[in-house]
Amino acid sequence: MDDVRAEVLAEIRRTLAADLEVAGPVELHHQLAADLQVDSVGALVLAVALEDRFRVSLAGTDAPSVVTVEDLVVVVERAVREGRAR
Amino acid sequence: MNEALAAAAASASGLTFVDRTEGETFVTYGDVRARARRTAGALRARGVETGDRVALVFPTSPAFLEAFFGVLLAGAVPVPLYPPVRLGRLAEYLVSTSRMIAAVGARLVLADATTRSLLGKAIESSRPPLGCVTLGDLGPAGELEAEIGPGALGLIQFSSGSTADPRPVALSHDGLMAQLAALRALLPREEALPQKGVSWLPLYHDMGLIGCLLQAVYYPGPLVLIPPELFLARPALWLRAIARHRATISVAPSFAYALCAKRVRDEDLGGADLSCWQVALCGAEPVSLDSLDRFARRFGPFGFDRRALRPVYGLAEAALAVTFTPGDREVKATRVDPVRLAATGEAVDGPRAVVSVGTPVPGTDVEVRGPDGSVLGELRVGRIFVRGPSVMAGYFGQPEATASALSGGWLDTGDLGFVAGGELHVCGREKNVIVIRGANHLPQEFEEALAGVEGVRAGCAVAVGFVPEGEDGEQLLVLAERARGTGPPADDEGTVERIRRAVLSHTGIRPHTVRLLEPGTLPRTSSGKLRRNEALRRFLAGALDPPVRVGRLRVLIEVVRSALAFTRVRLGGGAGRPTSA
Repeated sequence: MDDVRAEVLAEIRRTLAADLEVAGPVELHHQLAADLQVDSVGALVLAVALEDRFRVSLAGTDAPSVVTVEDLVVVVERAVREGRAR
Repeated sequence: MNEALAAAAASASGLTFVDRTEGETFVTYGDVRARARRTAGALRARGVETGDRVALVFPTSPAFLEAFFGVLLAGAVPVPLYPPVRLGRLAEYLVSTSRMIAAVGARLVLADATTRSLLGKAIESSRPPLGCVTLGDLGPAGELEAEIGPGALGLIQFSSGSTADPRPVALSHDGLMAQLAALRALLPREEALPQKGVSWLPLYHDMGLIGCLLQAVYYPGPLVLIPPELFLARPALWLRAIARHRATISVAPSFAYALCAKRVRDEDLGGADLSCWQVALCGAEPVSLDSLDRFARRFGPFGFDRRALRPVYGLAEAALAVTFTPGDREVKATRVDPVRLAATGEAVDGPRAVVSVGTPVPGTDVEVRGPDGSVLGELRVGRIFVRGPSVMAGYFGQPEATASALSGGWLDTGDLGFVAGGELHVCGREKNVIVIRGANHLPQEFEEALAGVEGVRAGCAVAVGFVPEGEDGEQLLVLAERARGTGPPADDEGTVERIRRAVLSHTGIRPHTVRLLEPGTLPRTSSGKLRRNEALRRFLAGALDPPVRVGRLRVLIEVVRSALAFTRVRLGGGAGRPTSA
């Protein structure tokens, strides 16, 4: 896993633990809703945190089709690489 | 409404949009109107005629204003819809958006460029005749400000975002103006102190749209708008904006006050002074005394005056507000026994605090009625009925639903309440709506998510809203019967977990409590339909009991009922009990 991916995953873990009170490990295969209990407000908090941290916009990407942690990592990584500034 | 915009345009006042870095963009009402007149001209050139419905899908932004007032100035009817979710659940979003577009027969959908690129499937299935365009697509075509005829519709708002059965609430221009006039009469007099508002509420919701935006235009006075997602992610933005702008008024559901008390740290506020905040309205969901008290204690050191807190009650079908509490006093509550309340409908002294939402707004009448339609006296729980000039014209295109909600000028709110000390207290609900964080959901949304969940008896689960002890607001309760033959304690834990996962991943809402029941425990009507409110009443009264062992006749009845409830029951054993599914 390269740097950007690792950083995105770290930020997801940080936000889940600090802002959304998700206890326990967070792995790439976990589903945000079913496994990590992230509800619709939690998903918003996560999206805004990632947008702020990586200075990208997730609006208009395929973010709405995200199911797992890995899906989210890929979407954010792509936005960073494409320089999708907000 | 168009005259109100013209009057506001003559003032120097306007709207401030806050972005995520807390940068701000100011737009005067004069600008809003000038742009809206051009939008109106372009809409007419596109083929939008008087009375046509135009759906609007925008984030909180100047473009929303341009589109909303553009539609109004074209003599058409704006229908604000919620923009796409940020992460996940796009498929559900597209289905519900498509149903809402179809339910109002929208002639055109206006959206920002990003949203438009996501809406494809919703547009394909709902087929608005003029398609979906952005403001930029409209192109220049001169200005327009159409005459509004008497009784013309001014707005359609949805009472819930549920996918199953969208209810488009149609409000006339006259009704909207009556509501705005009533609200203005309740604010402190202008000469005493000009009101300045801050709102993070969504503009596709009655409280954000009518209570904040249209009220600011009507007043007219300045309003600061924060996108709702920014508030949810960074609640301190709301309080900082109030302090920075020396705002006097802001409104939010109970959960927002609780969220701030929990998540905002001292360093987030940087010594902000909240003493300017004179009117802190709280509504859109059951008001929690506890949340408001925690908020007042938490931000008292920052100058927040707890006497600013004013619980209110309203619903989309009444345009917005039905009752208001007076200013300059502390939040009042009546203590009741929740078990007696659920069991007998009497409000007798007990441990639960039900907050007073005050008295009717000017021009509005409220009655609490018993099952026979008679008006009840103090401390008797009944259904809340409302009459007044801002009550909806009806559900758009749904005469049957309208007839069951409106009768002789009275709106059946479906909410339950009682009067104490001359003030209304809302303590429950008979209509099938679950209000979570100020948003309305239909129970079917949650119940449909349970189809096929292992361990649950097919079609034998209900979703209801309730306020658990010690919680800040209404929460989701799922009552589900075990599949036959899986009885306790075999795999209850696994079944509960599967229910939680299914509901959360389908709906984005986390159930607070999941209770598994013996087959046949949930109350049903004679035709076999589940009775959600009765199930909730029994749950609250601690009376959800499994059915008693029954004789052969009851077995037959049970079989018929179960069949009607879309469940297959086979008879087995010889003891005269229905067994195995």
